[in-house]
Amino acid sequence: MTEDAKKLINLRINGKDICAPEALSVIQALWYAGYPRVKGVGCLQGVCGSCRVFVRRAESSEVSTELGCELLIEEGMDVSFLIYPIPPYQTYRLDEIPNSWEVQAKFHEIFPEAAQCRHCGGCTTTCPKDIDVEKGVELAVKGRFREAGELFVQCVMCNLCQTACPELITPNHVALFSRRVTAYFHTRPSNLINRLEKMRKGELQVVE
Amino acid sequence: MATNTPYDAAIRRYQPLAERPLPDSAELGDALLERYHPDYIPDRFVELTVGPNAGDPCHRQLADVLQSDSRIDEADLAASAEVETDVLVIGGGGAGCSAALEAARAGARVILATKLRLGDSNTVMAEGGIQASVEKDDTPQMHYDDTVKGASGQIDRKLAAQMVMDGPDVIRWLIQQGMQFDLDQYGDLLARRAGGTSAPRVLYFRDYTGLEMMRVLREAVFNSDVEVWDYCPAVELLSDQSGHCAGAVLSSLKDYRYSLIKAKSVIVATGGIGRLHLNGFPTSNHFGAVGDGLVLAYRLGAKLRDLDTFQYHPTGLAYPHHLGGTLITEGVRSAGAYLLNAACERFIDELRPRDHVAAAIIRECAEGRGVDAGHGESGVWLDTPSIELRHPGIIEQRFPKLLHLGTKSGIDPREQPMLIYPTLHYQNGGVVINRQGASTVPGLYCIGEVCGGVHGRNRLMGNSLLEIISFGRRAGTAAAKRVHGVGMRQKKVSLEHLRAFRRELMLAQMPLTQQSPLLFPEYAKFEKDSDYDGLRRNTRVDDDG
Repeated sequence: MTEDAKKLINLRINGKDICAPEALSVIQALWYAGYPRVKGVGCLQGVCGSCRVFVRRAESSEVSTELGCELLIEEGMDVSFLIYPIPPYQTYRLDEIPNSWEVQAKFHEIFPEAAQCRHCGGCTTTCPKDIDVEKGVELAVKGRFREAGELFVQCVMCNLCQTACPELITPNHVALFSRRVTAYFHTRPSNLINRLEKMRKGELQVVE
Repeated sequence: MATNTPYDAAIRRYQPLAERPLPDSAELGDALLERYHPDYIPDRFVELTVGPNAGDPCHRQLADVLQSDSRIDEADLAASAEVETDVLVIGGGGAGCSAALEAARAGARVILATKLRLGDSNTVMAEGGIQASVEKDDTPQMHYDDTVKGASGQIDRKLAAQMVMDGPDVIRWLIQQGMQFDLDQYGDLLARRAGGTSAPRVLYFRDYTGLEMMRVLREAVFNSDVEVWDYCPAVELLSDQSGHCAGAVLSSLKDYRYSLIKAKSVIVATGGIGRLHLNGFPTSNHFGAVGDGLVLAYRLGAKLRDLDTFQYHPTGLAYPHHLGGTLITEGVRSAGAYLLNAACERFIDELRPRDHVAAAIIRECAEGRGVDAGHGESGVWLDTPSIELRHPGIIEQRFPKLLHLGTKSGIDPREQPMLIYPTLHYQNGGVVINRQGASTVPGLYCIGEVCGGVHGRNRLMGNSLLEIISFGRRAGTAAAKRVHGVGMRQKKVSLEHLRAFRRELMLAQMPLTQQSPLLFPEYAKFEKDSDYDGLRRNTRVDDDG
């Protein structure tokens, strides 16, 4: 194992030829080789969506998208960082939706482009978390918000699907809207409500 | 140094079993902490010599950062843009976002400045859940008692009592922002136990509680009137003639300039210090967690506390190397997963408080009963197959992040145990605050991990997600209210407080070669990145060329 640990890998990151020991992630390899890197680095655990990279592997013409903190370096890999995130361009407030009957109509006002999906599959291909993004958009368009949101449990809001969409749909925000309205209108846990009532009546106190 | 069993040999020895008894021999009591917990290594601590905590013990690495010179002086600000606002929030995690939302809701003009992107924080990485007593056999009093007991003394009881009473309303507020929780078939909140709790109290969303919370709060902020300045780390706070906090100096990583933000209240929500890698430990923390807020507050004269106590989360990934330090939630142990040494024996009750469990793991490895992970690292097994054997399907259903981590590691946690070792997780101490999150410096509020007192010397799982929202909301409201009190008097803002701090450093004969806040961990080589030369006019680096 210690023998293997010394094996060196040659690859290219952001146009720079880098030689680093195997068992490093793309970001670690960049640092190892002495290059500074601050932008596009985040949690380093695959949940913040900051370190989005394009990857082309040796002997392949296919380019895929991954997260640089989770991606282990490979011989002959070519990697480029995508830096800045795109803030969402639609605006909505949950408390402006009068009740749950109005959610579907509001959705189409807020995300008018969602219904224009061409089913090109670009969003799904680009997702580093293997979410069926296109299906999620389709469900949201039909007003099936709970189902749409459930597909996106693992979404880290990396925005890659948004970058991939020729119709300028923002699938991750469509999904987050779906998740948020589900909680906002339908999460009403009786154990929580009971506890809040008891506290409102002053029945529960803390003695320090 | 004892020799641990090599990984390959140890994994061959492992057999999945649903039940394993805990040997009677396992406990060492307080001696366990004193002998093995990193907080008890004596020469790692020094006495601070300057600032409001002079004479107090502090971790050596943190003391170096606290007693450093500023990155800037008045000359750097000569041509800087000036912007005015009511409330400036520094930090874009869960605490910063909830404070910003509440301050804006109270009618204040709010700027939220964050070092990287909005949401880049430890919040997004929190997995296990958030404590709030909602189960019928649980009470806020029990929550309070557990928190005090787990804290090993030195807790600020008023803060803890207020926080546990806030718990249920914090959950309601989060649901109103659109956050989902795991529910049972009737729509009730599911609760799980945490180490050191007397009732199931941790509410959660899979093992993605923090991710779910952060993406919802981020979306809420983007859809509010809060003005977000991303890629803008704060490098200094501003003071007025009375020494009160009056804003901050931000450095833009986009256009490489400084800006002066004059604010009537400032809320610092910058998180902790994991990326200082205290004692050489790996960390579960976000890339930006290098103690910026502590430095800024300390220089302005804010009192800190408990700077010698840190939490090492028992279960950080120890293998494979490239994911070292990555967190595996305590939820896995609360679901019943065992910790096993290389001989596949349990060695501690897995749901003892985190400091005890971490110390026990360190002991096993130090005494040669651990597994050698290569690269000079070692660990013990987190026996995930045992819970899968007892509850088939539980890992896929409850712990998707763990499963994903397994995929990235080439290990299926349903069949094979994960190798873990304690990972630097949380700064227990920090800025002294009152119940509104106000520090000892008027105009300066501090919330979240940057603060001390709420958790004493050891924090329970799920109490930090509660803390950030509980104090975040309160500080946001209080900071907005203070705006009216400050009134319209035009105040002169300056870096006057730096002059006094530098004088103290010189009198104490401290070297003025080091500058802080660090902004990024050393290995990211920010200081050498020529992109940011524009922010370094004042940097006194040793010229080696």
